[in-house]
Parts: sequence; C-alpha cells; structure tokens
Amino acid sequence: MSSLIYVARRLALAAPLLLGMSLLVFGLMRVIPGDPAVVVLGYKATPESVRALRETFHLDEPVPRQYLRWLGGVLRGDFGIDYRQNEPIGRMILDRLPVTLELTVLAALVAALIGVPLGLLAGARRGGAADRASLALGLVGISIPDFWLGIMLILTLSLAAGLLPSSGFVFFAESPLENFQYLVLPTLTLAASRAAALGRLTRAAVLDVVHRPFVQFARAKGLSEGAILLRHVLPNAAIPIVTVIGLQVGYMLGGAIVVETIFALPGLGRMTLDAVLERNYPVVQSGLLVVGAMFMVVNLVTDLLYGVIDPRLRRR
Amino acid sequence: MTRGRSPIAVAGLAIVAFLALLAVGAPHALPGSPTAIASALALKPPTLGEPFGMDDLGRSVLSRVVHGYRVSLGVALASVAMAVVAGLPLGLLAGYAEGVTDHLIMRPLDILMAFPAILLAIALTSVFGTGVVLVSLALAVVYVPIVARVVRAAVLATKAEVYVEGARAVGAAAPRLVLRHIVPNCVTPLLVQASVLMAIAILVEAALSFLGVGVRPPTPSLGLMLSDGRGFMLQAPWVVVFPGLAILAAVLGFNMLADGLRDWLDPQQAGRG
Repeated sequence: MSSLIYVARRLALAAPLLLGMSLLVFGLMRVIPGDPAVVVLGYKATPESVRALRETFHLDEPVPRQYLRWLGGVLRGDFGIDYRQNEPIGRMILDRLPVTLELTVLAALVAALIGVPLGLLAGARRGGAADRASLALGLVGISIPDFWLGIMLILTLSLAAGLLPSSGFVFFAESPLENFQYLVLPTLTLAASRAAALGRLTRAAVLDVVHRPFVQFARAKGLSEGAILLRHVLPNAAIPIVTVIGLQVGYMLGGAIVVETIFALPGLGRMTLDAVLERNYPVVQSGLLVVGAMFMVVNLVTDLLYGVIDPRLRRR
Repeated sequence: MTRGRSPIAVAGLAIVAFLALLAVGAPHALPGSPTAIASALALKPPTLGEPFGMDDLGRSVLSRVVHGYRVSLGVALASVAMAVVAGLPLGLLAGYAEGVTDHLIMRPLDILMAFPAILLAIALTSVFGTGVVLVSLALAVVYVPIVARVVRAAVLATKAEVYVEGARAVGAAAPRLVLRHIVPNCVTPLLVQASVLMAIAILVEAALSFLGVGVRPPTPSLGLMLSDGRGFMLQAPWVVVFPGLAILAAVLGFNMLADGLRDWLDPQQAGRG
C-alpha cells in the first residue's frame, strides 16, 4: 500500500513539472524576434501569403490561446504541422524516436557493463594498482570531449582501417547486422565518458559501505572477499549506483544530439538541432518538449526504482 | 589520514594556471597569427617551428589552439561567474527562508533542470543568438539552478548546526547570521562545484561551436576547429588531433582541481578518496 502511495506522489509531482516545461519551451520560441511566418516564407513573401500562413497555423490568435491549442494537441498526440515540409511533427518524432532510444539504451548498457565492475574492483582494492589505474582512467574518461572521441574513432576505425561505416543508419527491422554495424561507433562514443563517470561514482559508493560494521562482521565470520562484495557491499551500494545510472542515461539524451550529428543518425536530437539551424521553431519546440519529457521520465523511473530497492525511502 | 591526496589538486591547478597564462599571454607569446591565411602552407605537417602543423588555409594550428583557449576559458569563466552571482543569493534565500519562498525560487529552477544541459543550452542560443557573449549567457542560465541547489543544500545543512542555533539564540540578526555563519560554509561546496562547472562549460562551449550554434567562425574556437578540420582529417590528422587534445587538457585540469579540492576541503571525505 505504502509503495502505491509513493508511486502516486511521484507521478503527481511530474505533472506540474511537465506543464512548466511546456510553458518554457513555448515561451522561448515566442521570445525569438521576428514573425515565424516571414521566417518560413522568406523576406520576399507577399503580405497575402504571409497572412494566409498566419491563418493556417493560427499565428494570428492571441499567444495564450496559441499555447492552449498547442498543449491540447500535444496531449492528444498531435504536435501540429511542420511549416516547411508540410509533414505532421508527431510523425517526424515517431520516426526518429526509435533511433535515439536504441542508441541511448545500448550506450547505457555498455557504460554500465564497463563502469560498474571497474568501480567495484577499484573500491574493493582501494589504493592498489587497479584502483590507481582506474582513478586516472576515470579522470581522463570524464574529460574527453565526446564529439572529439567520435571523430577520432571515425578517423582510425572507419576512414583509415575501413572496419566500420562512418555515418548513416539502417533500421533493425531492415537488417539487424547492418543496424549493429552502424551503431558500434556511436554507442562507444556516447558510452565512454559515462562509463568513466559510473566507474568513479560506483567506487565512491563502495567505499561508503566497505567500512560499515556489517561488512567487518561478515569478514570476521569468515566470508570470502568475493562473497562479501557481492552479498553485502553491492546491495548496499546499489541505491547510489542506480541513481547514478539514471543520471547518466539522462545525460546521454543530451549527448545523443552531438553523437547523432557526428554520425549522421536520423534521431530526435539531430532533428531538433537541424530545426534550430533552420529556425524551424514549431519543430524545435516539440523536439525540446519530447526530449525533456524523456529526461524527466528517466529521472522519475530512477526515483521509483530506488523506492523499490530501499523500502525505507518510500516513507519519506 | 592525509594520504597525500593533494598531488591531484596541485597538478590540476598547475594545468589550469598554465593554460590560463597561455590564454592571457597568447598574443604576446606567439609570433604566428591565428588568422593569417597562407595558401602555400596549407595542411603542412607539424615541424619544429610549428609543432601542431598548419590547417587547410595555412594558418598555424598552435596559434589557433592558444587563441581558442582565450574563448574557451573566457566563456567558461564568464558563465560560471554569472551563475554564481545569480545563483548564490537565490540559494541562500531559498535555504534560509524555506517554505513558500523556497518553493517560489526552486520550482521554476527545477523546470530549467528538467532538460539535459546541452539541449537547454542549444535552445537558449537559438533565442539569444550565437557569439561569445551570448553563449556565455546561455551557459550561465543553464548553471544558475545547479549553483542555487548546491548553496541551498549547504544552507540547510548548516542551519541545523549547534553554533548557528547558538548564534540565533543570543539574538544575532538574520543578515549577520547568514553572512558570518552560513555563507562561509557554502564556500567549500561552491568552489568544488565551480571547478566542475568550468570543466563542463569548456566541453559544452566546444560542443556548441562544433554543432554550429556557438562561437561564430572568424573567432578561433577549439570546437569550430574540429568541425572545420573534419573534411580533411585523413590527409592531415593534426588539424583535429591537437584541438581535441587541447580541450581534453583543459577539462582534465579543472576536473583534477575539483577532485583535489573536494578531498582537501572536506576532511571527512578525504579518507574515502
């Protein structure tokens, strides 16, 4: 019962946040100087065509009504029409969402599979050679610009060695093998710095636990170090680790913009950036809201997960 | 328990100081111009005189990297400073007042934090426009909620301390209480956070410029050099290798400084490294 209330309270907090986010992105796009209709049609547009476009897209209405119209549409899954391509924005988002999701999920998996074991190892053997090496690796890892790493991977593995494609995308449904080939370098690029961050934070979480009395007790009763690590240290370090994985996934949604651009992946981040460069504000507005909402959902799921891992937190 | 953790901080500080000196002294230190075009020298490989080689327009990559640091470090410093100027009072007020004031300050800031940082920065530059000043401003907006949160948390932790209760009990007025007893306790977490934010700002500015929504082309910027150099990196890898290493060095310096400061300023954490 208490866990139901916990979930309900978290969900209730999400609604006003989403509303605030929609107000922010809508407001940002209205602050931009210039008439969007003129931006779309160019400065040579006739007053008639500008007026027609303004009417078609309801730009002649008062701003609050425009906001409510947009929000009402978004709630029904209708993001409006792209001024330029005359394509429903909802359709554009749905086409690109799988690419971003696949990239982010793969990168999160790779980062967790590399970062968490490294952090555990470093924390368990603190001050040892492995710990020192992972400290240095972690510092360099979080400091590498991901777009530079992507360029270096393209330069070495794809242009020079010809092992993997440097740009483009094939959907999993079309060809699983090619899909994988196109995603190897983007995934590595996105995962590298997050693996380093996860390693550092896992190590800190482990160090927080290893000196607690119950660990000393387990050691005193003769459990092997491996068993102590897996049965006593890991479960207790799990909450910060899960939180941090959640944070890293959120970070990756931002990083995906950069990675999708470098590797020419047709994802949501690239769609939003292209729209920014083309000053295609209705698409920017919806792209921002969707990526922001995904970010929020990741944070929400993280919150809920550690409610599951640690029942004590539910009561707060 | 001081196990010689400070070497990281010292090394970080040394890197940061060296790069800052380079950025400040760049115009005087280097004979080569970052913008002088010499087509005869185009894509010339590194030599002793030009250790980073020449770019596609025959401009010195070393000179452009050093001038790029001026932009990088300048944008980072300006954005962090602006964020502290705005975020420190907000965090102090939210943490000290609590209740309705706290909500009025923190809930709108939560909305800013509900977007991935780089996405929010891109959105803001699409409103503000591009260029050194506007990019700094966009980053500052992204950072204000982070600074406010750190300060607020420090205030909440300090308020419960016995000596603050004591000062209040003997009748210290609120402004005195905040300035004398609470602000000094925010300095440690704020310094660490500022160093981390410097590192992130350097990365984000480079990323924005790389993506074409940051610093504008005539200005030498490390991110721009990478996007310009992509086209011929197979013939001339130095045009992308050195600017990238330059970004890495600066970010690493600030991250090391942050790590070292965290251990050094917070003795309880130091034992855990």
